[in-house]
Amino acid sequence: MTSRLQIQSQPPACHDDALAGLREILRVTRPDADVERIQRAYDVAASWHQGQTRRSGDPYITHPLAVATILAEIGADDEMLCAALLHDTIEDTPYTLAALSCEFGAGVAALVTGTAALDQIKGRGRRTVAQVMAAAKCAGTRVLAIKLADRLHNMRTVQFIPQVKQLRKARESLDIFVRIAAQLGMDTIEVELEALAYATMKRNRHARSTSGRLLLAVAALISAATRTRWCEEWLGELHTLPARRDRVRFAIHTASGIPRLAFTVRMPAWGHRRSG
Amino acid sequence: MKYAIKMTGPVQQVLRAMLEDAAVPRYGLEISKQAGLETGTLYPIMARLERVGWVESSWEDPDLSISDGRPRRRYYQLTKDGAEQARLALAEISFRREKRRSSLTSARPGPLGAWL
Repeated sequence: MTSRLQIQSQPPACHDDALAGLREILRVTRPDADVERIQRAYDVAASWHQGQTRRSGDPYITHPLAVATILAEIGADDEMLCAALLHDTIEDTPYTLAALSCEFGAGVAALVTGTAALDQIKGRGRRTVAQVMAAAKCAGTRVLAIKLADRLHNMRTVQFIPQVKQLRKARESLDIFVRIAAQLGMDTIEVELEALAYATMKRNRHARSTSGRLLLAVAALISAATRTRWCEEWLGELHTLPARRDRVRFAIHTASGIPRLAFTVRMPAWGHRRSG
Repeated sequence: MKYAIKMTGPVQQVLRAMLEDAAVPRYGLEISKQAGLETGTLYPIMARLERVGWVESSWEDPDLSISDGRPRRRYYQLTKDGAEQARLALAEISFRREKRRSSLTSARPGPLGAWL
């Protein structure tokens, strides 16, 4: 652990600035916050997430930091802020729960595991909204608040994930998270999350149109590695065609070329070998 | 001469359209209109051109699409090497075609003339 922290001893300059932003907010919403402890949580999380990136290409640590900042804005306590900063370390890095519990206390550890447990309930199979809501009720308010902030930041940066996933996240946000936010009385999060979800659904509405469905269905032929790229590209093109007739035409013609495209993408790149 | 990609008619059409202004990135629908090809023909060709490194593609800035409320677009552009190779290939093909045409019209004496 110490060696990893030493590597982190020269963090990119932007990290310092980012944490300054969090401190600034805390000065207003939580003047009594234990800034040193929060800084320590940030340092540990940053060192473990080092080298990992978000889909946007940003360093991964920008995400937990953004989640903590959202929570700071609504006046969350120190344990929640630390848990927010560390919320992905246990699942995505070799950092252990025992070490986390030792360094930051059982309270923070419980929040982190609670957040991860909520993910698992949601992720395992296709649960109904009612089942997820029931599970959410059992989780504590503080865990739910962290999860909401997490989702809010993910929806703020949703444009970097494949379109079909964007739609699923948007739907899920409306069905589950907006309702939880309403129940908890977290109005600002509720309003922003709802607006983001609707904007995402509107932006990707063609994925659910007849033309979009046709393209997505035939695109199953393309190997998984490049499929999302082509789907996103075509759904984007669909969007630029105002007339339904043109969209259907585009979908049919493009779909007719998909078998050939799938074959091209699967083949070894013989062209490179010959020219190089 | 052998090229990295088979220079079929549609491939030539695509390359000609893209060479018109090689520095400008374009999206698929735009290229298909300029080349006069259906998208079902175009995209497999783009995939092939990209594979052999003649063309590269990239997403547009997502913020731009967010503010417009639409999905982001994929833009294609000829690589420097690709533009060069494409120009060469097209020049050679048209040269050969020209030669064939002139040998057909002027140098050919008659149906059996060449043999006699």
